[in-house]
Amino acid sequence: MTESKFYSTTRRNLLMAGASGLIGSGLPMPAVLRAQTSALKVGVILPLSGVLSFPGIATQRGTDLAVRMFGDEGVKLEVSYADTESKPENGRLAAEKLIRDGATILIGAWDSGATISAAQAAEAAKVPLVVNVGSAPQITEQGFTQLFRNFPPSSEIVAKGVALFKDLPRGNGFDPKSAVVLHVNDTFGQATGGAVKAVFEKLGLGINILDVISYDARARDLSIEVAKAKATGADLVLPITRVNDAILIVREMIKQDYNPMAIYGPSSPGPYEKAFTDALGKFADEYMTSVPWYDPTTEIAKKVLARWAKDQPNDRFELNSGFGWESIQVVADAFTRAKSTKSEDLHAALKATNIKDHPMAGGPIAFDAKGQNTNIAIPLLQNQKGAPVVIAPAAAAGAKVKLPMTKWADRA
Amino acid sequence: MSGSTTTRRQVALGSIFLLILLLLPLVVDGYYQTMLTTIFITALVGIAWNLMMGFAGQLSLGHALYFGIGAYVVALMAERYGLSPWLGFPVGFLVTSGLGLVVGFLGFRFGVKGVYFALLTIAFAEFARLLFEHWDYVGKTGGLFLGSVKPDNRSLITLRGSATFYYYAVLATTLFAWLWCGYLVRSRLGYFWRAVRDDEDAARALGVRAFRVNLLAAGISAGITGIAGGWFALMNGNLFPESVLGMRVSIDFIIAPIVGGLGTLCGPILGALIVVPLNEIAKEAGQALGLNGLNILLYGTLLFIVIVAAPDGCWPWLANRLALAGRSSSKPDGP
Repeated sequence: MTESKFYSTTRRNLLMAGASGLIGSGLPMPAVLRAQTSALKVGVILPLSGVLSFPGIATQRGTDLAVRMFGDEGVKLEVSYADTESKPENGRLAAEKLIRDGATILIGAWDSGATISAAQAAEAAKVPLVVNVGSAPQITEQGFTQLFRNFPPSSEIVAKGVALFKDLPRGNGFDPKSAVVLHVNDTFGQATGGAVKAVFEKLGLGINILDVISYDARARDLSIEVAKAKATGADLVLPITRVNDAILIVREMIKQDYNPMAIYGPSSPGPYEKAFTDALGKFADEYMTSVPWYDPTTEIAKKVLARWAKDQPNDRFELNSGFGWESIQVVADAFTRAKSTKSEDLHAALKATNIKDHPMAGGPIAFDAKGQNTNIAIPLLQNQKGAPVVIAPAAAAGAKVKLPMTKWADRA
Repeated sequence: MSGSTTTRRQVALGSIFLLILLLLPLVVDGYYQTMLTTIFITALVGIAWNLMMGFAGQLSLGHALYFGIGAYVVALMAERYGLSPWLGFPVGFLVTSGLGLVVGFLGFRFGVKGVYFALLTIAFAEFARLLFEHWDYVGKTGGLFLGSVKPDNRSLITLRGSATFYYYAVLATTLFAWLWCGYLVRSRLGYFWRAVRDDEDAARALGVRAFRVNLLAAGISAGITGIAGGWFALMNGNLFPESVLGMRVSIDFIIAPIVGGLGTLCGPILGALIVVPLNEIAKEAGQALGLNGLNILLYGTLLFIVIVAAPDGCWPWLANRLALAGRSSSKPDGP
């Protein structure tokens, strides 16, 4: 399929929709699917308990939403979940279990370690594995033939995000000359923290990285780290965090009255989460990050968001939900074209994937020889009025950037 | 029941059990094979830890050190230098045995005993974890990844392959380790270990070189644990300091021998056969009920019941009922 039949709005599709009585939903149903009788068994591996359960469950919500939406259109998917308990080594056993239960295609596994572990089993059983979230560059460098990753490697997220940050207008009190990196000392934080320093130097931003400060992933107090960052006098703070530590950092900055020109977390999950904006209220505003995100200007994103608002009114559709949704879209698309539930047919279909209409920002979803989708865009986000909005690139922007940041004391 | 009858029953039931294990892959799929391989790895570490704790009486809460180092040695030699794990395993065994001797030397030479020795082992494991989390060569917290198994892979050379291959390979390793430990605990050295465990001063008075025999227990136990780590690395294809050197790993591995029965040869195997499937069943139950994490609660509760119902461990209880132990050997130190 070169274009999603579900969301393209050509005249032919609208006529098909009318004929099938689906004009109300605006989502025309492909004829081939109506003829299908057997459902595709999809196994989804996620960290649903343990330290990674927060993003794991967010991914599950997006996955479930996509299953409902595609199910409404006649795509029969039977999804089973396997929990890794946030332990990388459980990826393999989870994959084996799902394959035993009849899954002929796998999705997973949110974290890179569990993904590689699951890939060993997928490779041995010749069952395709669609990676929903997992940013370690090594995932597509190990020679797996069954692996298809619809998520960018961490180095690419940083490089694309910082390139947009570089183009932000200077002046009116925003002209940073120095920065300090604060990063969590785990797998993701260490890789990203190192990449940030390298990319700032490579792109010639004219911003001097004064210090790189790491902290333990289990830290409950970051007062010393923030004090060290403040002591550098940096104009820009670059935190590489997850949710809880991002909250801790902002609270400490308020307490210590540290007012940099901007806070920008390249490739940093956390600041866009509802938990972050709810916990910090107005103090969460103007915090920036650059991560893969949905393109709010596309029709398909609007439809997904509308359905999300109806089904999940208390949760935010974000990166994890978005890639959870797209993982099902990739599988549904392959299933539709393969017209088969066999792993080898699905594998062949995945290799020819070319989905133009999809909610996450970027070009068509297509996989290169290593199984990597290289067309994922990385917009620049800024929290405004309690929610993240795209501020760059201009084509996808939903608001204008607000810089320099308002001082903490002036936010009362 | 006479000793020879008991021995015959032991051999007969042991042979039947082994025969079942050898034939199981013919009737179970990859999932169960992988779960059983996990059981064998857990049993292998349990056998090693039990040698030190159950027979020599030295409490180690830092066996993740040997497991993790063994895993990294095998993985680094294979991934960075293209060397076969056939070479990686002996090197891993020697390196981890050496580490065990160093930790043991520091503890036994300076009279660090009981919980203080346990703290020393934790300190070494945590030091190694922190070191590996900041060491570029091993990938720091970013982890170390093994390449995929190639289509023209020859499992007997690369020691990597399908779930069935790992099943038989780890079963053979566990069986070998079990037989070796069985030989050791029944040898002169084994009696020395138990003498030192029960009363070190009395053992010394009778001429037992307590320092030397304790050191041997630490070195052998560490070496076997390192081998288990090597299989873990080959099977999973990725290593992170937290997932092989973390405190959680040390604790996870001692549950099986405690549940199975300390100071028994079969206890760690039975313990692994109980705790690993129990965790999986509890996890499936939690997922079926839509309550993620419920498995941890169920798992803890079931372990609590097992420990209350069979405080000496499950093996002595089972051995009595199967008439596998005479009256005197129904306690630990039996088969």
